[in-house]
Amino acid sequence: MRAAPMTNAPANDNRIAASNVNGGRTLTLRIFRYNPLQPEQEPHLQSFTLEEADTMTLFIALNEIRENMDPTLQFDFVCRAGICGSCAMLINGRPGLACRTLTRDLPREITLAPLPGFELIGDLSVNTGKWMRGMSEQLQTWIHRTGGAPDLCRLEERMEPEVAENIYELERCIECGCCISACGTAQMRPDFVGAVGINQLARFRIDPRDDRTDTQFFEVLGDDTGVFGCMTLLGCEDFCPKDLPLAQQIAYMRRKMVLAAT
Amino acid sequence: MTQPLTGRRPSRLSAWMDMVQGGTGLLLVLFMWAHMLMVSSILLGKDAMYWVARMFEGEPLLGKPYPILVSGVVLFILAAIVVHAVLALRRFPASSHQYQTLHHHIRSLRHGDTTLWYLQVITGFALFFLASVHLYQMLLHPGDIGPYASSDRVWSGRFWPLYLLLLFAVELHGGIGVYRLVVKWGWFLGKDPRRGRRRLQRIKWLITAFLLALGLLTLAAYMKIGMEHEARVGERYVPAHLQPVAEPQGNP
Amino acid sequence: MQIIHTDALIIGGGLAGLRAAIGVKRQGFEAIVLSLVPPKRSHSAAAQGGMQASLANSAKGEGDNEDLHFLDTVRGSDWGADQEVVRMFVNTAPKAVRELAAWGVPWNRVQRGDHTSVIKGNKVTVHERDEAHGLITARNFGGTQKWRTCYVSDGTGHSMLYTMSNQAIAEQIPVHERMEAIALIHDGERCYGAVVRNLITGELLAYVSRTTCIATGGYGRLYRNTTNAVINEGIGTAIALETGVATLGNMEAVQFHPTGIFPAGILVTEGCRGDGGLLLDGRQERFMPAYEPEKQELASRDVVSRCMETHIAKGLGAQSRFGEHLWLDIRLLGQKHIDTRLREVKEICHYFLGVDPARELIPVRPAQHYSMGGIRTNYRGESPTLKGLFAAGEAACWDMHGFNRLGGNSVAETVVAGMIVGETMGEYLADNQITVSTALVHDCVGQAAQQLHNYAHNNGNENPFHILRDMQHCMTDKVGIFRNGERLQQAVSELQQLQQRASQIRVHSAARGVNPELVAAYRVEKMLKLALCVAHGALQRQESRGAHYREDFPLRNDRDWLNRTLATWQQGAPLPSLSYEQLDVRNMELPPGWRGYGSEERIDHPHTAARQAEVDALKAKVPDRFQLQEQLMPYCDLLPPSLRGRNERLAEPLQSPSGEQRP
Ligand SMILES: Cc1cc2nc3c(=O)[nH]c(=O)nc-3n(C[C@H](O)[C@H](O)[C@H](O)COP(=O)(O)OP(=O)(O)OC[C@H]3O[C@@H](n4cnc5c(N)ncnc54)[C@H](O)[C@@H]3O)c2cc1C
Ligand code: HEM
Ligand code: HEM
Ligand code: SF4
Ligand code: F3S
Ligand code: FES
Repeated sequence: MRAAPMTNAPANDNRIAASNVNGGRTLTLRIFRYNPLQPEQEPHLQSFTLEEADTMTLFIALNEIRENMDPTLQFDFVCRAGICGSCAMLINGRPGLACRTLTRDLPREITLAPLPGFELIGDLSVNTGKWMRGMSEQLQTWIHRTGGAPDLCRLEERMEPEVAENIYELERCIECGCCISACGTAQMRPDFVGAVGINQLARFRIDPRDDRTDTQFFEVLGDDTGVFGCMTLLGCEDFCPKDLPLAQQIAYMRRKMVLAAT
Repeated sequence: MTQPLTGRRPSRLSAWMDMVQGGTGLLLVLFMWAHMLMVSSILLGKDAMYWVARMFEGEPLLGKPYPILVSGVVLFILAAIVVHAVLALRRFPASSHQYQTLHHHIRSLRHGDTTLWYLQVITGFALFFLASVHLYQMLLHPGDIGPYASSDRVWSGRFWPLYLLLLFAVELHGGIGVYRLVVKWGWFLGKDPRRGRRRLQRIKWLITAFLLALGLLTLAAYMKIGMEHEARVGERYVPAHLQPVAEPQGNP
Repeated sequence: MQIIHTDALIIGGGLAGLRAAIGVKRQGFEAIVLSLVPPKRSHSAAAQGGMQASLANSAKGEGDNEDLHFLDTVRGSDWGADQEVVRMFVNTAPKAVRELAAWGVPWNRVQRGDHTSVIKGNKVTVHERDEAHGLITARNFGGTQKWRTCYVSDGTGHSMLYTMSNQAIAEQIPVHERMEAIALIHDGERCYGAVVRNLITGELLAYVSRTTCIATGGYGRLYRNTTNAVINEGIGTAIALETGVATLGNMEAVQFHPTGIFPAGILVTEGCRGDGGLLLDGRQERFMPAYEPEKQELASRDVVSRCMETHIAKGLGAQSRFGEHLWLDIRLLGQKHIDTRLREVKEICHYFLGVDPARELIPVRPAQHYSMGGIRTNYRGESPTLKGLFAAGEAACWDMHGFNRLGGNSVAETVVAGMIVGETMGEYLADNQITVSTALVHDCVGQAAQQLHNYAHNNGNENPFHILRDMQHCMTDKVGIFRNGERLQQAVSELQQLQQRASQIRVHSAARGVNPELVAAYRVEKMLKLALCVAHGALQRQESRGAHYREDFPLRNDRDWLNRTLATWQQGAPLPSLSYEQLDVRNMELPPGWRGYGSEERIDHPHTAARQAEVDALKAKVPDRFQLQEQLMPYCDLLPPSLRGRNERLAEPLQSPSGEQRP
């Protein structure tokens, strides 16, 4: 089967050609600077100006600054493709993944700040990893089997295809921390496990391989540090870069936990 | 099967408080919707309002009105509000540090639902005072409800500014409240939860707009009657079927 | 200075490192994992397409088994692979998938009934058997005879890594995040751990261990245009090289993936083509069938990448302001398929290109993708020259990929290698009582500290970031898909000049903490060494094999080059010293031949014909595939006992109650 109707061709070419409509701008990046190891220097915003390039992302812009203007600038990128969750920061006050944010979608002045709610390592770099590991340990985000380990030579246990897909739907979380920074509750109360934690437990709750009962889930999720701390502010869902259905999952766990409590 | 995982035993209090807060909230919203419809009966005419008022005083059942019944309802509602407010207070920023963090967060995030919640906190705070005054009034003067009595209170008693504020506060607070309650427990989200949420939000605004419009019209109606009745403040309305002659007299 | 003692030090928190750590821990030893980043952010998370294992559950996988997986892998490697290791691998891969399934990976499952699929541009109906319903399904990938790639939508690596990492947390394995190993502690014979820099505070620490495993992934960032994460700089590989004792294998074997999005170089998975996507040229016409009539878009990556570049060189690419590229067309797969099975692809296209792949074409061009080369180990994962040093995953060259890796074989390798190496490290720990001299530890840390200190007091004024960039350009331009002697020679000289410049790096900032400038400085020096191993190795290898393609030596030359390049670096030397390890045709289960795609021309090894005749004779005589295999090339004893069992399939039920041993 010949697949490509010729009519679609110009659309693609135009897209790339059109990517320069904003080109030629001079951007001003106002970047939060603070190194906790050098507390004598107060936290402040430092401005950098640079020429915008075609399809420039904040990843490209920040690296340009570090390579040519200020080699001490700290930030975290790993995959630079929006899949690892390293680069979340406040972009003009709102959490998002810097690596996949195109400067052309932003105004000429861009303010960058580290994600609030996490330990600051320096400048734009925060220790989300430590937070997430703590969350994981506290909530026990792994499969709990009561039976022994299966014989690996044997056929695997079956699972309904739809169940597997539903689990993956929730497992797409990249632990970027945006939901924590976008949640007023988490900002006010640091011991709140946040949407990321609740969603992860929901993922295990629907997994038939996990033998935990609701009473057991209740132990880790049944108070104000858990699902009952959530005030339904919904920033988590609206700023989750992976578009996870967080409100629905929090509601799901809330219903299960209420049943477990009564 | 259910051996503890962590040895942690969270109390069930959180779960209960969450449910009771939501439950009282829902009860109050339902009450408010009904209340709005009742009060707005004035738009259908003084007789309609008169009839509604007497009904609540039990006249159709007991043969004669007992305003004390209204006081009972008021007490019940007052209790619900107190419980609701006390539980909701947990959610207020508990320290100036929390307050600052929250304030900064809301300003920088510019996020619809978070801002709505904040509006709810503010209106809730306002309700605390506004509703108290109104309820206190209703508790002590349950008999003073009727087409003229109410209108006099609204106009000559200078209650209308209070009602205006109360109206906005309660409709915003209650409207946002049910919307959030519905999302909180995951009802009516449908197959695509994000789209479902947007739909719920639209419905919520429609309801709020309708109730505000209705409330404003109602308030206007009371004010108008009150204005016209200003000269005869204190006089009670006699419904049409009890008005033998042109001279309306009335203390039932 | 802080010294941390442990039984096993695992450098790298990707799939390979975490699985190895779990293995060690389960044998009762203490393991500490180091990682530059939180382990869930390791680049394993970026693997999209899937993991190969011959489960044979799906209709198009029926009849699959270890033998076919073995054939495909060896052919894919262009006979560069160690066939024993490939055998160990294919027998363990199904166990690895099943273990991950038990730990929580939500593998996509077989749905009974009829489904429409797109194969070679045509819509066909595939019927899935009732009895396979609910078992792990598979998709098609390049260079395979069966649909063998198990997957989780297109977030396979993500799911695997999250599951693995959660399992490591469950087993209470400490992961020291934001820690970078910058030198190995060794005495020329044995490795005793590593000197480690804390990437938060900038402090140096010593991790002293009885065994050390390097699982630091690939070194794609030697190139400008790469699908790899920015942390894939090969520092783990480089510190092994810097011992002067450990060897690196086949560093010139670098894979280029056909479908990096253009110009960003971010990968869209091979699953796009596996599921039926097509490559189109500037005229929006298919071109792969003309080059590869049989496998078409699904020939191995080296072959497809070369065809694409050849086609562009003919002037048939699509033009854009950034240069020329080709198109990937997945519109024919339909909205629903893209929304459920290719959602990361959709997101990437949306955010980085502004393209909706269900309606529009995706601009693509080959980009550096995978490092077949790495720290040379034996089949147990241990360095043959530096005792106590192990390596696993992409960082290692125990050599199952030879000169070209098949899609889906890498995440499978990481877990399998983790299982095997974890086991052998345990054995090693049980057998070896080791004492380390404190003087040695202080020496090694002192040296490292001195080096870092020197950057601040250098007289030169070079910027490490610029040197890094120049190196990356040099590698992409001169040590890319098409190589020749002249350009490689230029590359080697340029890299040496860059080394000169690197010795003039001056770090200006004395900022406490991580100090990114300092990090760039010490890394670029290490990376230049690796780059030279790649370029120099490529220059010396005068043949074309797998991903290593020499325009001036276009044939595969088994006669002279059926061998593995080994590189070591003596301190102060201008270049790595290369030596070669022969592969013995006489022991091969699959003697060298045509791959089934790509060029059929080659220069044969003198022993090939004889070995082929032997193999054919045995095949005629022995009908049972297990017995035949056993006689062709016994390997079972090489596996740890726990991994020797046969793998059950629907068509091959196990007789005995539990996974029985081979006869
Ligand atoms: C975009 C992309 C898609 C891919 N898709 C597939 C696929 O579909 N199927 C497939 O089979 N393969 C795929 N691969 C290949 C596969 O993902 C990798 O080869 C594999 O995941 C490597 O795993 P690893 O455990 O060896 O290393 P990684 O996952 O890269 O982990 C390396 C670890 O080492 C740590 N580290 C590195 N250096 C140091 C140091 N000096 N000190 C301390 N720690 C250090 C890092 O922090 C990290 O934790 C893909 C690769 C890419 C780039
Ligand atoms: C004294 C008056 C009141 C105060 C101080 C108050 C305060 C609050 C606060 C702060 C919240 C948010 C709680 C949270 O986010 O968890 C809330 C929720 C709510 N309020 Fe009120 N409120 C008052 C009266 C009312 C009244 C009169 C109504 C009915 C119209 C009402 C209905 C609701 C509803 C439905 C919710 C949502 C409940 C939930 O989210 O669980 N409240 N209230
Ligand atoms: C059982 C308790 C209540 C009774 C019997 C009651 C009764 C009334 C009556 C009779 C009126 C007409 C005006 C008047 O007579 O003064 C009125 C108006 C009003 N009440 Fe209440 N009320 C009760 C509770 C509440 C509560 C809890 C709220 C909100 C928190 C509230 C909000 C209002 C408002 C906003 C108006 C003005 C409506 C308008 O004019 O549009 N009432 N109420
Ligand atoms: S739930 Fe979403 S926002 Fe929160 S950590 Fe996961 S991916 Fe990030
Ligand atoms: S923003 Fe926070 S309060 Fe709940 S709904 Fe999300 S976790
Ligand atoms: S760098 Fe990985 S998500 Fe941005």
